[in-house]
Formats: sequence, structure tokens, C-alpha cells
Amino acid sequence: MICAGIDAGSRTIKVVLLDRDTGRVVGQGLSNQGVEQSALVTSLFEAVLSEQGLTRRDVERIVATGYGRNAVEFADTTVTEITCHAKGVRHLVPEAATVIDIGGEDSKLIRLDARGRVRDFAMNDRCAAGTGRFLEVVAARLGTPIEAFGATASQSRTPAPISRMCVVFAETEIIGLLAAHTPLPDIAAGVQAAIAARVAGMAGRKVDAPVVFTGGVARVSGMKESLESALGQPVAVAPDPQMTGALGAALAAAEMAGA
Amino acid sequence: MTDPPRQLTLGQWDLRYRQLEQAGMTQPSYGGPLSRHLAEGDLRLARLRYDDSPAALRLWNFLLTEEDRLHEARSHGKKIVGTMKDLGTIPVMADAIDNVVAFYPDGAWWSPCVMENSTGLLEIADSMGIDESFCPVRAMIGAFVTGHHFPIPDLLTCSVGATCDDFSAIAQRLEDLGHPILWWEVPHRRHPDQGEASIQLPGGCLAPKTQVDLVRSELLRVKGAIEDLAGEPLDEPRLRSGIAKANRIRSCLAELRDLAYTARPCPMPALEMLIAEMLAIHFCSDREECLGVLEALLAEVKARVRAGVGLLDADAARVFWVNPVADLRVMNLLEACGARVCGTEYLFTHALDLISEDRAPMDALAATALADPMVGSADDRAMRIEREIRRFGAEAVVVSRIPGASHCVWEGWVIQDVLGDRCPVPVLEIEVPSVADAVTPELRTRLEAIVETVHQRRTR
Repeated sequence: MICAGIDAGSRTIKVVLLDRDTGRVVGQGLSNQGVEQSALVTSLFEAVLSEQGLTRRDVERIVATGYGRNAVEFADTTVTEITCHAKGVRHLVPEAATVIDIGGEDSKLIRLDARGRVRDFAMNDRCAAGTGRFLEVVAARLGTPIEAFGATASQSRTPAPISRMCVVFAETEIIGLLAAHTPLPDIAAGVQAAIAARVAGMAGRKVDAPVVFTGGVARVSGMKESLESALGQPVAVAPDPQMTGALGAALAAAEMAGA
Repeated sequence: MTDPPRQLTLGQWDLRYRQLEQAGMTQPSYGGPLSRHLAEGDLRLARLRYDDSPAALRLWNFLLTEEDRLHEARSHGKKIVGTMKDLGTIPVMADAIDNVVAFYPDGAWWSPCVMENSTGLLEIADSMGIDESFCPVRAMIGAFVTGHHFPIPDLLTCSVGATCDDFSAIAQRLEDLGHPILWWEVPHRRHPDQGEASIQLPGGCLAPKTQVDLVRSELLRVKGAIEDLAGEPLDEPRLRSGIAKANRIRSCLAELRDLAYTARPCPMPALEMLIAEMLAIHFCSDREECLGVLEALLAEVKARVRAGVGLLDADAARVFWVNPVADLRVMNLLEACGARVCGTEYLFTHALDLISEDRAPMDALAATALADPMVGSADDRAMRIEREIRRFGAEAVVVSRIPGASHCVWEGWVIQDVLGDRCPVPVLEIEVPSVADAVTPELRTRLEAIVETVHQRRTR
């Protein structure tokens, strides 16, 4: 039977279909989030099922996670993204001890125990500094497509110092840097370093290795290296990092179905 | 108590009120349906859920009629002392004289939440340069300016020194506005040097005798001011009697906390327990009635425990809560997320500990004041929290930051670090603004996640 995980994030919606018997992912999809959250989730879910020649009747259990999880009306239950990212990472990288997830509107650090369960976690507070939104704001300000942001940053030799405390202030700083003709790659690299420093600050003094990086921001080139620099240790990007939460939700659905 | 307890909305309470009234419920003079406070402007009450017992109704009515009580005291010619940033010491002295009542102007920090900013108290503080970079207790300035929330006190006292930088700045602004303040100093509590004469404080800390002596001399100045105000001596028998009465309240509260935080199922919701604990600071300006309110609540809890009934799921995650929330609704939210409060540290534990009745009264009060968690190190505070976590069997800790409150910025990290080393339960930090509606989804995610984490850890 199929179990489904839906990660209704602040910027994108992700769906993963899991074959409970084999533990294999049999389908997945992603779409942008929007105002009509419920309709968008339904549409994506139906599309992913259809691609695999499946219908809702083939789905045994559905778990929704993410910021918009309560808008997924057809889900059997909801589980927070903290638990789902932990489950997803445990499945992909069983030895992982720390998960860093940087999504569109928040970032989190999750400490796992030896059995892959959440031991403790920390999340950023009411501020887009340290999130994908920060990258989007700066990319727009620099006139650089978000997809090219990492490549731009990689050309930097001297990342510009940028505040890690507040997106609004950082944007003001960037205007100043642009006025001072600071090269765009240095600004972009500075922003990546600011996000990484923000996340490292959230981690406090204890970050157990191995560290696995998930979420949409993990796909931006250069972010992994910025995090490694801020944390002072290697960081591995999860396979298909944007889908980790949805995978974890599907795994949670499979556990519940099997219970 | 015959039916299983429930949590009710304000509308449901109106119905229950009518039933209880028809059944012959007796009420104090300040009794009445809760919804009348909504009509008087306490808009937030419509968003809360309440315990359904007559004891809880009495508790809420007692809290929400504090302004009436103060105005009545003024009209009867009683002297009013505003005891700022003291959390439990000066009211013990002031209430020892019959024609003096003490109250807690700092309590205005909840007005923006309870009244949903409708009074504009924070805006007034903003306009006076005390903006949101300060703790929400800045609402107190607005309350003094409008004069709508409490009568202007005849005497204002404020502890200063190690207590709170924010509050000191806010109170200084208040003094600028023409409200003279009697400042009394509390030094940062340090551990005694080796061989240095020391005093055991309530709560277990040691402090150098010289520090206790300093605080006693400061409190003697306050005592003198109260005597001048009242025109009566605050002699030793009165002080001893005042301490004994305060201890009756503290003992009652201690028993209530022990039962409410350990019994299964949960016999009293977190919100009512928060209000009850706060009474230990200021007695809502009526010490005798305060004791009556708490005894009624304790009786209700005992009855529920005896009957084996309670609220919330029996397997609700057991959470230890640190710092009071600026938005009361968050206590309801915690329970909606599948948790219950099992232990608290609301930054005034020294107001919960018994005041020594064996020492000279002023020595005992000085030791109590110096036991204030805010004047000691964050390590001391964390270690007390650790002891309480073990005592109450809490499975997780929520450290609730108060926006703008300077001590919250760094204490959360220290508490997290100390507990991480000594008491491995998950610790979650959240920030709760005065009206938390806009951040409720984020708060819910964090609280649900800590509940999920607790349940995962139970399966080990």
C-alpha cells in the first residue's frame, strides 16, 4: 500500500508517495505555495498520484507537515516538520546526529539521538534572517535570479560583512554596499555567511557530527560551505534536500499505518 | 464538584454561571459572570478558555476586580503603596498596617494583552521614548498617564540595582513624569567567599551576610516611609503577624502547586495556576481574601484528585514552564497542543518560599528579597529549575522569552546549557509578545514539536 507525505511549506508544497511494503519512494512532486493553499495541495497531490497511475483509494494513510499542514484537509493527521525532517534524514543518512533545515520562512536545528529520534531542537524566532526568504530579498535587490545566487556568490574573494540579525537592516546595509560599488559576488557571499552565522548561533556550543543539511536553501550552491565555515565542521547535504520533510511525513504515515 | 471538570469559553461560562446561580452558588462581593469583564473592555477574555469550577470563577473575578478594590480603598481613605519590581517583599510590610494597601503597578504589563491594546498603553510609552526595545511592563507608564487602571499611589517604591535594567529605565521615566519613587537597592547576589560570614536564603542559596545586611538597611528605609505614610509604627509584632499571614498564603500555594503539578490527570489548567501563582506577589491588594481564593482553589483541586478526575489527556506531555507569558492565551495553546504544565519558574520563586519566622522580621525579609532569582546568577536560577524539574517529573522545558526584556536575551541560553549538561530533557525557547495572535501558528508548531519529542522519548 501507498503512504503519502505532504509538506505544505511557506514557499513550496512537496508530496512524496512511499510504498510501505518496499520502503521505496514511488512518486513525488513540488509546486509553489500560494493563497489558495488547500486547492494547491489537492491539485499537486492528485497530479502526483495520476503520474503514477494511482488514485486516492490506493493511499492507505496521509500525513501532512509544514507551516500549512492544517490546510491539508484530506490528511489523516498532522506531524510537525521537526519530527518529519528527523525521520526523513534518519532514513537517508542513518548515522546523522544533527539536522539543519533552512526553508523559506524559518530555519531549525534538530539534534537526534542514537536511534534517530528528536532529542532537542531550536528554531529561529520571528525573523527572516537565517531563512530562504533572506536570500530571495537580497537576490531581488541585486537583480540576480535566485537560481544564480550561489554561482554569483562563488565568485567572491572577500565576502562583505552583513548583519545577521535582521533582514530589513541587512537590506539597508546592502543598499549601502551597492552605493559603495561593492562587487555583487561579495554581497551575495556575505549574505550566505550571514545566514550561516545566524544558524550557527542558534546551534549554540554543541553541534554533534555528522551534520545533515535539508530544505530548499540546501540547494543553493555555496550555502553548504558557508555553514561548514560557520559551524567549523563538515556538513552533508541530504539527497533531494527540499523533499526531506515530505519524505519524513510519508515515513510517519507508514509507521502509523503499520502500527 | 460532581461533574468531570472541563475548560469553557466565555459564552459557555455564562450558561454555567446561570446554572450555578440557580443552584445556590454563593459569591463574594466582587462576584458575577465573567463576561461582564469583557463588556468592560477586557476583550481578550473572549479568546481564553477557563476552568469551569466556582473556585476558578472566584479567582478570575478577584483578579479582574483589582482596580475596583484599589479605588474603593482610596475612597475609604486608605493609603496606597505601589510596590514596583519587588515581587513579594514590600507588600508583606505594607499589609501589616490596617490602613495601608499595597499593589503591583507592574501588573499593568498584562493590560495590553487582556484588553488587546485597546487602551493604547504601549503607544503612550512609545511616545515617551520607552519603545518596544523595552519589556512590555512599559505599559505601566501608560497606566500612570491615563489614570484609568489604578489610582495614583500615595507612595511608590521600586527595587533597583540587580533586579532589572529595563524596569529601572521605565521607572526612571515615570519619576521624570512627576511620580516620586523611593528606590531601594538590591545588589547582585554573589556566592560567599571562603570563610566569609553567610546567610542561608529561602530556596537554598547562600549569600554573604554583608549583602543581607545591606538589603535590610534598604528595607528599613522603606519601612520608615510606610510608617510615615500610615502614621503608625510598623513594629515587630505587626511585622511578625504580616509575615505569618504571608506564609499562610505561600503554604497554601505550595500545596496547590504540589498537587496540581503532580496529580494525574491534571486537576487544574495552566492558566488558572499562573493567575494563582501571581497572587503570591501582591495578594491583589487584599491578603485575607487572597487566602480565601487560594484555599477555595486548593479545595477544588483536592476534590478532583480524590475523585480521580481532571482535564487534558492522561498522557499529556509534562512541561516545566519558565517565565510568565505576556499573552495569557499561550497557556491555553500549550494544552491544546497536548501538554500540561508540571512545574513553573515565573521569576519570582522567592515569593513562593516561606519567609523565616525564626529570624528577626527585617532580617527575614531581607533574606527573602535577596533570594529573588533575578538578582542572582542565571546558573543559580537554572539549578533551581533543575531541582524543580526532577521534583515534578517534567519531561520538557519551555523557556518563554518576553520581548524586550533584557534578562531574557541571555538567560534562556544559560538555562538551556545548564539543563543540557545536568538534566537532559528537551528545552524549547519561544518568544511570546503581548498579543500573540500573529505568531500563533509558529508557536503552535514549536509546542507541538516539543510534545512529539516527549512522546518519542517515552518510547525508549
